[in-house]
Amino acid sequence: MSTFIIDTVGTLSTAGTLFIVSAGLTLVFGAMRLINIAHGSFYMYGAFLVTTVAGAGAGLRFWLAVLTGCLAVGLIGVAVEIGVMRRIYAREHLTQLIATFGLFLILADLALKFWGTSSRTVNAPAAVAGRLSVGGATFPVYDLVIVGAAVVVGLGLWALLQRSALGWRIQAAVEDPEALQAAGINLRLLRTGVFAFGAALAGLAGAVVTPQVAVAPGMDSAIIVSAFIVAIIGGLGSVAGAALGALIIGTAETIGTVVAPTWASTFIYLAMIVVLVLRPAGLLGVPERAR
Amino acid sequence: VTAVWRPLAGLAVLAAVLTGLGFTLGASSLLTLNEAVGLALFAVATNLLVGYGGLVSFGQAVFYGIGAYTVALGWEHLQWSYWEGLAAAPVLGGVAALVIGLIALRARFLYFALLTLAFSQLAYEIAENQYHFTGGANGVFGAMLPPSLAQPRTGYFFVLAVTAGCLAILWKVTASPFGLTLRSIRENRQRAEALGVNVFGHELIAFVTSGMFCSVAGALFVIYSQSAYPELLDWTQSGYAVFMVVIGGMFTFLGPALGALVYTLGQQYLVAHTTQWQLILGAVLVLIALFWSDGLAGLFGLAGRRLRRPGLARPSAADRGADAGAEQERTGRSPGVADEARR
Repeated sequence: MSTFIIDTVGTLSTAGTLFIVSAGLTLVFGAMRLINIAHGSFYMYGAFLVTTVAGAGAGLRFWLAVLTGCLAVGLIGVAVEIGVMRRIYAREHLTQLIATFGLFLILADLALKFWGTSSRTVNAPAAVAGRLSVGGATFPVYDLVIVGAAVVVGLGLWALLQRSALGWRIQAAVEDPEALQAAGINLRLLRTGVFAFGAALAGLAGAVVTPQVAVAPGMDSAIIVSAFIVAIIGGLGSVAGAALGALIIGTAETIGTVVAPTWASTFIYLAMIVVLVLRPAGLLGVPERAR
Repeated sequence: VTAVWRPLAGLAVLAAVLTGLGFTLGASSLLTLNEAVGLALFAVATNLLVGYGGLVSFGQAVFYGIGAYTVALGWEHLQWSYWEGLAAAPVLGGVAALVIGLIALRARFLYFALLTLAFSQLAYEIAENQYHFTGGANGVFGAMLPPSLAQPRTGYFFVLAVTAGCLAILWKVTASPFGLTLRSIRENRQRAEALGVNVFGHELIAFVTSGMFCSVAGALFVIYSQSAYPELLDWTQSGYAVFMVVIGGMFTFLGPALGALVYTLGQQYLVAHTTQWQLILGAVLVLIALFWSDGLAGLFGLAGRRLRRPGLARPSAADRGADAGAEQERTGRSPGVADEARR
């Protein structure tokens, strides 16, 4: 029972980070039909920024660093959108993939220049640094922080997309952009905003996860593959699908670690293959039409 | 007839120049050129999917890596000679491509690109984690070549010969009825389906063919590196193949080979002169995507506009009779219409 609790909390924590990253990816896809390989770079920048701002000081400074990381990455997102993305929304997938792959390489190299190759660690603030005992099981309190952040992001996105006028506009941006413009909405601004928001979510995930991982180059390419798999499983463009996909990946990883440690990382791909064979457009996705 | 022979003539001239260089260059330049020639095969084989099939695969490094690992692991665990490894590489690469293709080709467009990318990462992680079999992150290295091939000049000529042979076969494939049908699927999938073309079957054959030749390219990699390591399977390696295709020009047969040459020489030059070569590579990619999607081959086409997508969307005038007729038969429309539809 106690190992079950530990595994469950660990799974939810992994899934939480994955969900926040994938939600940003899938939100951007939902509004602009753009898939961004450099999304993982935003995650890495969020993490690196926290290591710089928080430094050795824990406590309030850590939370400020998380906020800074999230917002700064949002600003990077604005710059990237204006500089590159808005010119390629209407282009074919290959062009989009090439451009964002280029951005991925550029951001990776710049990160290397700013932060070097060594890995960095950050301590969680004392209030959430300890371990918690529930029913004989002990697990890091910080796991709950990540789960909480994911829940807040999930509920916030649901409220935004389903319950606000802004959310309807975001959804309409891909369905009928002309009508949206005719209604007096500034489509360019809306797209910049959505892209920056998606980037900020990746930054937030990277910032929040810092106390649990070694922050180092290569984070970007590892997380983007996981985020793609989550998006593939859940269905591109669906935030609920991202949540579902993140949970499935988190569970598959935990089961893998328990059942066959040396093959653990292959379990998430197995999960992906099984879902894809059953539903080629993901669990909650709609098959993509030719463009 | 000219449309068929012109690229072959180009291939012959290129082979002659590369042979000449093989006799004149020093050992270290030769090694660079050797890498470029090997990567040219990788890029052209990748373009069978990206350019001809319209299937954007970010997973061709899987087969490239399998080729290299087949030679290296065969040598380490089964005491294979290089020749046995080279012979087994396309077989194993083809089998892997069949399995991956059966799954990945169920998906379309972006899902296909992301799925192939995920398979690339899967292969990378297997190679890195199965330490006892693959040597983990360090990979496999050692004297796995016969003495004749270990010598730079003979090694280079061998790579050149194998690449030239493979390119000739790939050229025949792209010019065959199969190749034409593949293009018609790219142009209009619904139409091809309605005409009774087995779309999935054609795409699967293209995927397996590409996988086999990528695997041969991987086996050639061992000749100039004498090693195999997990990064060969990584999705960024797949990305570089797509990059070579795009920079060279995906709508020509030899464009990707040119892209491989430019990529390798550019990388060598940049690595020697700056630590920021990835930054420059990325910037080039972004600029290409924004302004210049025809690649170098588009630049070399005499009157850029007129020769856009030569041989793929529009057969040359002299050849239009036979070639266009065949394409029209399959797609039910003239290539001119297909051209208009693409704009």
